[in-house]
Formats: sequence, structure tokens, C-alpha cells
Amino acid sequence: MNDSNQMGNIFISHRAIASIAHQAALGSYGVVGLAAKSLVEGFAQVLVKDPTLGVEVDFANDGITIDLFIVIEYGTRIKSVASSVADTVRYQVEKTLGLPVKSVNVHVRGLRISNLD
Amino acid sequence: MGADVQFPAMTDGREIIKKSTLDGQGLKILVEAGLTWLKANQQLVNSLNVFPVPDGDTGTNMVLTMQAAYGEIVQSTESNIGKMAHAIAHGALMGARGNSGVILSQLWRGFARALDNLPEMNGETLINALTECKNTAYKGVVRPVEGTILTVAKDVAAAADKFRGKDVTLDVLEAIVVEAERSVENTPNLLPILKQAGVVDSGGKGLFIILEGMLRFIKGMPLETTAVVQPLSQMELDGAMEEVEPGQDYEVVVDFRPNNNLDLEKFYSDLSDMGTSIQVGEGDGMYRMHIHVPTDKRYEPIEYTMGLGTVTKVAIENLLAQMEDQKGKSDEKINFTPIEAGQIAVIAVSPGMGLSRIFASLGVAAVVEGGQTMNPSTEEIIHSFENLPTDRVILLPNNKNIILAAQNAAQMTVKKVAVIPTKTVPQGLNAMLRHDPDGDLAELASEMESAISEVETGEITTATRSVEINGVDVQQGEVIALLNGALVASAKDIQSACMELLKKADTADRERITLFYGENYSRQEVNKLSDEIRKVYPRHEIELHEGGQPHYQLILSIE
Repeated sequence: MNDSNQMGNIFISHRAIASIAHQAALGSYGVVGLAAKSLVEGFAQVLVKDPTLGVEVDFANDGITIDLFIVIEYGTRIKSVASSVADTVRYQVEKTLGLPVKSVNVHVRGLRISNLD
Repeated sequence: MGADVQFPAMTDGREIIKKSTLDGQGLKILVEAGLTWLKANQQLVNSLNVFPVPDGDTGTNMVLTMQAAYGEIVQSTESNIGKMAHAIAHGALMGARGNSGVILSQLWRGFARALDNLPEMNGETLINALTECKNTAYKGVVRPVEGTILTVAKDVAAAADKFRGKDVTLDVLEAIVVEAERSVENTPNLLPILKQAGVVDSGGKGLFIILEGMLRFIKGMPLETTAVVQPLSQMELDGAMEEVEPGQDYEVVVDFRPNNNLDLEKFYSDLSDMGTSIQVGEGDGMYRMHIHVPTDKRYEPIEYTMGLGTVTKVAIENLLAQMEDQKGKSDEKINFTPIEAGQIAVIAVSPGMGLSRIFASLGVAAVVEGGQTMNPSTEEIIHSFENLPTDRVILLPNNKNIILAAQNAAQMTVKKVAVIPTKTVPQGLNAMLRHDPDGDLAELASEMESAISEVETGEITTATRSVEINGVDVQQGEVIALLNGALVASAKDIQSACMELLKKADTADRERITLFYGENYSRQEVNKLSDEIRKVYPRHEIELHEGGQPHYQLILSIE
């Protein structure tokens, strides 16, 4: 994504945006982790502790689209957690970049079961 | 409020605390009390919501979650408190709304798990349950943010834990509520964003209110009043101006230290017999009371409070006189055209007070301050039209560096916004002449856009550095003239720069020259200048307006 001003251009990479989204998602209640999209990618990312694990950023058609692959705590209301994390990520990315986010898609990859009631 | 909630006639909250244990039906009544008190304070909680997303819905979300929890048990005659708690947790889970709602449902889930299948709860089991609440809630997040509802749950559990093994009864709830309040007040120290906004955490406050509602019920205090005491520092008396009702001519503010514990409910109801706009604040045992009363009753609140304690300070003000003052001031303010629902609202970016006034007289709904070297942010632009009662908006950026921010603003809002790419103030003014608030947004936008090319813009300013552009050699400190944004002349003084500019401009086809003079150019100078211009261009109409813009001595509109 680039943004021009009088002095030149500012380029913001996919990874930079993904890192912001990753941090915001981890701080959002109910999200207990992010998951890799594919198995192979997952191994690589876990080995190097990738700060963008479980986040995909796309700039197609003049807007930022963010895909989140998350693991949610078992026993929470999944719909509410998913919409909260989408709101939080959108807000944090827009606030940090000052650029609009077109959409945030949340993919619930699994549930973590800490306690069975 | 409260009409929809009916406590069974046999239950006086004070009966509950006399018993050493609580059963399922007792818990049900407490949940109802918590919900009722939360509802009464819903807007207060909403107003605190700044984290994680400032959308002002925490109170509503928590009420809806508690309502779902209560809805699950309202018909239940279960006396086993464990089973009742599981039903509450189930209801809260199904109805959880928003972040705070999800956390609240987790707290109930932990509570239910701790009580498991117990028939009754005593002090000891309550302490265990609170610890389990906290543990369950913290399991739901990898990176807990402190200074939120989680922190309040944790502090409450820790406070309750101190009573472990001391053979306590349910009156441990009193200590819990005290701790919850302390913890809520401490949240701004843990979460900087709260401190910046000058609020406590909304979710934490909501949890405190639920617990406080339960305690109030047990103590036999009413749950439907809005007689809430706010911290002294948060009392806002300035805004009270707009609420003046006819007949309530005097504002009375009394600071006092009550002799005994102040019975707030009675205090409020006594005051409401005297006047309106009642506010009560408290800090360090000092109370401040604010009220609007009719002229003949202006001493009554003072005498009344004297009977309650030591009065330290009294202020009486005649609101009518204040109102007139205020009116005088608002004449100096800009009067924007009020927008009716559904009309097209135009927002202009304006660099100076005078120009804002001109935009207002042409019918813009609001202006955003900004221009050369002071570009407004996307947020400021959004903020300017967010609260207008229409979803059709036109933005006039009036500066080429602001067009992008305006376009961002247009994309970030749900309203339909058209950005007219006006690069200068005269372009914006000319576009504004085409405004039709009831027209079609797309048509009006293209109409306005075509108006841009019908005006030429001249700008006169002082060069801040030496440079050569477009074959014009400029020394620092010289006066330069820009025509439609391009440098066309430099000169030693403003008058010759202006003449040079008009020479370059296409004046033959134009009939009017308007001069907007800036804050660094005086009326006398501009009068002299306009006389000179009239001599050279006798067939043109020359107009003068105070623009008030910084940096530019003159902005010229040639149309």
C-alpha cells in the first residue's frame, strides 16, 4: 500500500499491517491463538516465531482486506468473539495507519478446551 | 425503568443476608437486582466506553447479556444454587454480546463450575466461586489487558480470598463491592488510553454496578433511582447552560460536608421539590450540590443543606443574565445552516475565520479548520459530519494536500460522501454557489466539479526560501504570486506582485475580482491596493472580504 505526500512516497508492507493485526487479535478477548492457513506454512512459521502468523493481508481493489485464522476458547460465544476481534483489528489497523480497511474476515480454525463443564 | 421488573412481594433483600446461606431462588433475586441496577446505569457505562473500540456500547452489551442470563431462569423454581448458576451461565453464554458480554458470560461460567451441584452457597463457597470466576475469565485470552473488567474480577477474587477460613457469611459481599469500586477507580492507572480519555474502564464499571446492585438490594436500597453521586472532578457544570427551563432563573451551587452519612435518596427527592438540573458530586467527604431554582426559592437549597452539615462555599448565579451574555457571544460565532434530515450537507475546509463565515453564509453545514501547513486529519473530517442528521455529504477540501484526507474520510464512513477536488478556497466558494440541499448527490457533485474550472485563483504570500521555479527567480523574503497553484511572479512588495498576477491571469474574459485578505494584512493596505486595481481594471467589479487566513496576505478569486 502506498500513500504519497509532498515529500515523497510512504510504502507500507503486507507484513507490517499483518503484525499490527496479529497483535490486536491476540489482545482481543476469547482469542487464544492464531493458526496457520496451511500445514506447511504452519511449520515454517512456528519455527521462526512469525509475528504475522494466522494473518493474511491483501490490497486488491483499492482497499485493505485482512483475513484472520484464529483459535477461540471453548465455552465462549463464538459469534460474539469473532465480531469483537474483527472490530478490534479493524479499529487498531485504521488508527495506526490512518487508512481505511475494507473488510476483516475471521476464520475460526478451532477451539481450545481448557475446561469441560 | 423498573416497571418491567417485579420483585416477589415476600422478599425483602434484608432477609437474604440474615440467613447464612443462599439458595437458587436467592441467587435468582440477586441476579435480577444486579440487572435492574445495571439497566438504571446503562448510559453511564456506555459513556465510558473507549477501549478496545470506542463505540459506546459496553453498557448496552452487558445489559443484554445479563438480560439473557436472567431470561433463562426467570421461570425457574430450582432451589439448588449450583443448577441455578449453570442455567444463568448458559443464558449468559447464549446471549453474550460484545467483548464485555463475552467476559461476563465467562465469569458466570466459572461461578457455575465452582458451585457445581451444591444445594446452597455460604461465605466459603462464594470465595471459591469468585476465584474460579477469575480463573475462567483469564483463560479466555492469551494476552490479558490489565485495567479492564478482567482486572476488576481479579481484584475482587483477591479481596474475597483474604476472608478465607475466617468463618464469614454472605456479608463478605460488602467488602467485595468496596474492592470492586477501588479497582474500577484504579483502571486508568493501568491502561493509559483510559487516563487520556479521563474515564474509568466501562466493562469494569459495569461489573461493579452489577455487584453493587446486589448489595443495594440486600441493604434494602432502591434500584431504580438515578441518584448517582459522581466524583467531584467529573462534575461538568459548564454544559448546564443549555438545560435552563423557563422559571428556573437561578443556579445555586453549594459545597458542604455532611454531619452524618448523607441519605442520598432523601437528599435527591428533597432537592427535586425545589428545582431542576440536580447534580451531586463527592470527593474526600466533601459534597457539591448543583441545582436550578426559581427566583423566589434561590435561598432554599442553601438553608436546606445547612441543616445537613457544614456549608463551606455557596455560589448563586442569575442564569438569565448569563444566558444573555451567551447570546451576545454567539452573535460573534458562525451560524451554520441547519441541515434537515436527508438533505445534502456540505463541509468545507477553511483556513481562516473570515472565510469560514463566508462559507457559512453560502450554506455549508460545518467547516473544518485547515489549509496550507495545517492539514486536518481524516478523523477530524469524519468528525465534522458524523453527527449531522443526514447521510448525504459533500466535502470541499479547498487545498490540494487535503483532498486525499477527504477521500479517506469518504471511504471510512458509512455515509454517502462525494469529495469535490477543490484545490483552492475560491474554487470551493464557486462550487458552493451551485449548492442545492435537496438535489441528487451525484448530479450536484458533478455540477460543483464543473464550477471549479470557472474560477481562477491567485495567492500572494512571502517566500520562505530562495528558489527558482517556472523560470521565476525568488529570493527569500520576497513576495510571490501564485496563479492556480503555479508560481508566476515575484516582487518586492505585495502591490506589484498582485498587479503582476492579474496581468498573467485571464482577466479579459472575467468580470469580477474578489480579494480575501489574510490575518497578516491590514484593511487599510487592502483598501489602497483595491484602489490601484480599480484604476487598472475599471470594467471589473472589485470586492473585498476579510479572509483571516494565515500565511497568505491575499487570496484572489477571478471569475
